[in-house]
Amino acid sequence: MKRTAAILGFLFLGVMIASALPADITYVEGDASVRTKAGTLADAQIGDVLQTGDTLKTGHDGQATLDQRGVTINVAGSTVFTLMEHAQGGAITPVLSVALGSIKYKFNKIGGGAEPQIRTNGAIAGVRGTEFSVFAGADGSTLFAVDSGQITVESEGKSVDLAANEGVEVPLGKPPGDKITVHSDQIDYSKWNEDKLAAMVADPLTAMDNIDASLASYSMNVTDYAARFADSSKTLADDRGQRNSILSEKGKDAAATYQDQVITPLALNTGYLFLNTRYYALAALSMRRFVAGRLYVTLKAQFINDPQNAAWVSFLDRYSAFLRSFEELIIPQLVAADI
Amino acid sequence: MRKALTAAVACAAVFFITSCASIQRSWDQGAVGQTAELINSGSAQKLYAMSASPFIIDGEVVPLTADVAGFWAGIVKAGFRVDAATFDTGTAVGADSYRQFADTMEARSFFARYVKDGTRILDFTTAMGAHIRLLVRSDWFSLRILGWKGPF
Repeated sequence: MKRTAAILGFLFLGVMIASALPADITYVEGDASVRTKAGTLADAQIGDVLQTGDTLKTGHDGQATLDQRGVTINVAGSTVFTLMEHAQGGAITPVLSVALGSIKYKFNKIGGGAEPQIRTNGAIAGVRGTEFSVFAGADGSTLFAVDSGQITVESEGKSVDLAANEGVEVPLGKPPGDKITVHSDQIDYSKWNEDKLAAMVADPLTAMDNIDASLASYSMNVTDYAARFADSSKTLADDRGQRNSILSEKGKDAAATYQDQVITPLALNTGYLFLNTRYYALAALSMRRFVAGRLYVTLKAQFINDPQNAAWVSFLDRYSAFLRSFEELIIPQLVAADI
Repeated sequence: MRKALTAAVACAAVFFITSCASIQRSWDQGAVGQTAELINSGSAQKLYAMSASPFIIDGEVVPLTADVAGFWAGIVKAGFRVDAATFDTGTAVGADSYRQFADTMEARSFFARYVKDGTRILDFTTAMGAHIRLLVRSDWFSLRILGWKGPF
């Protein structure tokens, strides 16, 4: 209960410190829905505004266009797209998360929008004045294809710079592969994604290796930020006590100075630590839902008549271990509205 | 006279309660029968159309309708059948019902957020002895499936 209250309290703080970069839905067609940060679901409509934490989901026949202060994002069918935020270098960086499906991104500096990061289940891309596409596959792989400008793709500590007509594929839990020459229009996402899904289902244990590696990376960040957040929260509480002592001993002005110089920066930093804890926990949840969970459901259906099948039993062992780790390391940072 | 009236009222109450229980049991059996028939006839599309979103499979929350469609299509493709399904129990969902799918925060949150009062958990057994659990509700007199567990 205490933990939930702390999470909710810092969610509120998160709202206050967030640089909130909303995105307007300017076009929508077919099946498209919005799941808000609070967990409510509704059909997407032109004029809706996506806020940080909101997710746009398109069905097979759906698509949508978003405008985010000078950035145009075309969300293709069968896509799960979320606006997120991440604290970096004492500032908030907007993050466009593609858990599944594909988006085409066009940055227009004249519009004055901040350059965001693009996140998938397995990679992060930094953007510098660019037009490019991101394809997020069923197995957690990502394919980036740049049409103009430049992006830097990073995964597992390795980064690759991409210029116009260059692309790179990033397998889940692995560093980026070799650069390829490609234009986004040449990529058939359906075919690419079907191949990824087929390969994952054909070799679920290798898929679990990648899923485990990805969870380990997310868990490490969650654990690190959560510990730093706990320390910072304690220091903040102590400092607030100190301010009260200063107020009674030295008066209002001294207390206000202490507030400005010590407490406010520390409170902001504590908020950033909380934001990042949640960021990595939500990223892990996305990977669990849209990669691991989908693999489970697909294999369950496939082996439903043969529950003693060795491949299914081996997979279940690995999957159960994955779920235990997820429960232990990630779930404590999530709230009911995330589910 | 008063005793007779009291007895009549008591009988009527017992009859009413029994009738309600009987009607509920009949609905539960009908829901199991309808689901079994659709599976056996390979009607994955109809099962998908009857499915809610999000959906729960064992302890997995399935947020994408395409994945629910894929699950029904997958079990039909695998040749799964529920011949001679025997209805076992039907219970109204309560505070701890999520445990019947998975004792996890995710299952608990799914039930708290997406499972309305009046939803029922139906257990049945196939001719092969496999147990299956459905999470269902009546939605404007038609059957809505919210979850599946099993065979176990």
